[in-house]
Amino acid sequence: MSDALIEGYARALFEVARAEGTLDEVEDELFRFARSYESSDALRAALTDEHVPADKRQAIVEDLLDGKATPTSVQLISMVVGSGRSRDLPAIIDSLVQRASSAKQLDLAEVRTAVPLTDDQQARLKAALENATGKSLNLKTIVDPSVVGGVVATIGDVVIDDTVRTRIDQLKSRL
Amino acid sequence: MTFAGSTLLAAGRALPMLETDDKGYITSDPIFAPWGEFIPAALASLIVFLLLYKYAGPIIKKSFRDRTAGIQKQLDDSAAAKVAAEAEATRIREAKGDIDAERARLYAEADAQAEALLADGRARLETEMAELEARAEADISAAAGRSTDELRLEIAKYSGAAVDRIVAGTLDDAAQQELIEGFIARVGAGTGVAS
Repeated sequence: MSDALIEGYARALFEVARAEGTLDEVEDELFRFARSYESSDALRAALTDEHVPADKRQAIVEDLLDGKATPTSVQLISMVVGSGRSRDLPAIIDSLVQRASSAKQLDLAEVRTAVPLTDDQQARLKAALENATGKSLNLKTIVDPSVVGGVVATIGDVVIDDTVRTRIDQLKSRL
Repeated sequence: MTFAGSTLLAAGRALPMLETDDKGYITSDPIFAPWGEFIPAALASLIVFLLLYKYAGPIIKKSFRDRTAGIQKQLDDSAAAKVAAEAEATRIREAKGDIDAERARLYAEADAQAEALLADGRARLETEMAELEARAEADISAAAGRSTDELRLEIAKYSGAAVDRIVAGTLDDAAQQELIEGFIARVGAGTGVAS
């Protein structure tokens, strides 16, 4: 899909969420769904299978997110999947999150950890990152077991990596 | 026989012609002719001899001389042929000697060439053997190096896998929280993190 098309979908989702007044929640839920989509082969295969009818794929999304996300988020994801753009879902959602951050005059900070962060940890981490970068941040946390332990934060082009995975990789390369 | 000789012989033989037998009959000699026949015959013979001497003698002499000259010529020719044959034999012997010398030279040359070829072949063989040995040693070294590298990679791979397992088994929730808190503290202080 072209960047213009991705931007078009992202703008549409953004406008709908903002119009519904649930931009923060929708943005967060869509971001988590995009990360789940990237990390789950089964989910990706189910939503991108051309032989599965669009309404079936939409039903999968609705069943999956039922009670776990706002109706707006479910409808937006279902709309993208129903239009046959499942493969571009992460890019569309990332563009939406970026757009939402820009609208709030914030920089997007993507944080990956092996275990979920508590609210307190997220708040302190956000404050620490803002202090380190001098920017106001829109913190997005992702639980990613592949990091093994520790934290990696990506803010634009800046990557702050203190994960066990990176240390192990460094040790392996030395070996 | 000369004429004088013939006359004496006839005179010597004239005595028996007058011999008388026991009955007083004079008989003719069964061998010698009577004088009446003998003298004319002798004269005729003499004339014939003289004529032969005068006219046939030079011819006979000439023929003898010619024959002698022919024989001499044949002898000379034979001598010349003998000389020529000896010269030819000498030349052939020389040629044979030349051939022998040439054969010996060719043999020597062939021997020299064969020896040179043999020496060259030996030298080339030794060079090739040296190259092969060097290549084999290099291959063995390379193989040993590859084996070492592969072994090192295997060790690294298994070590990495072991590290993964050990670290994953060691990282309980408390350790995870400690890592997270440590990250927050270091980022907040602006120190101790890779970027």
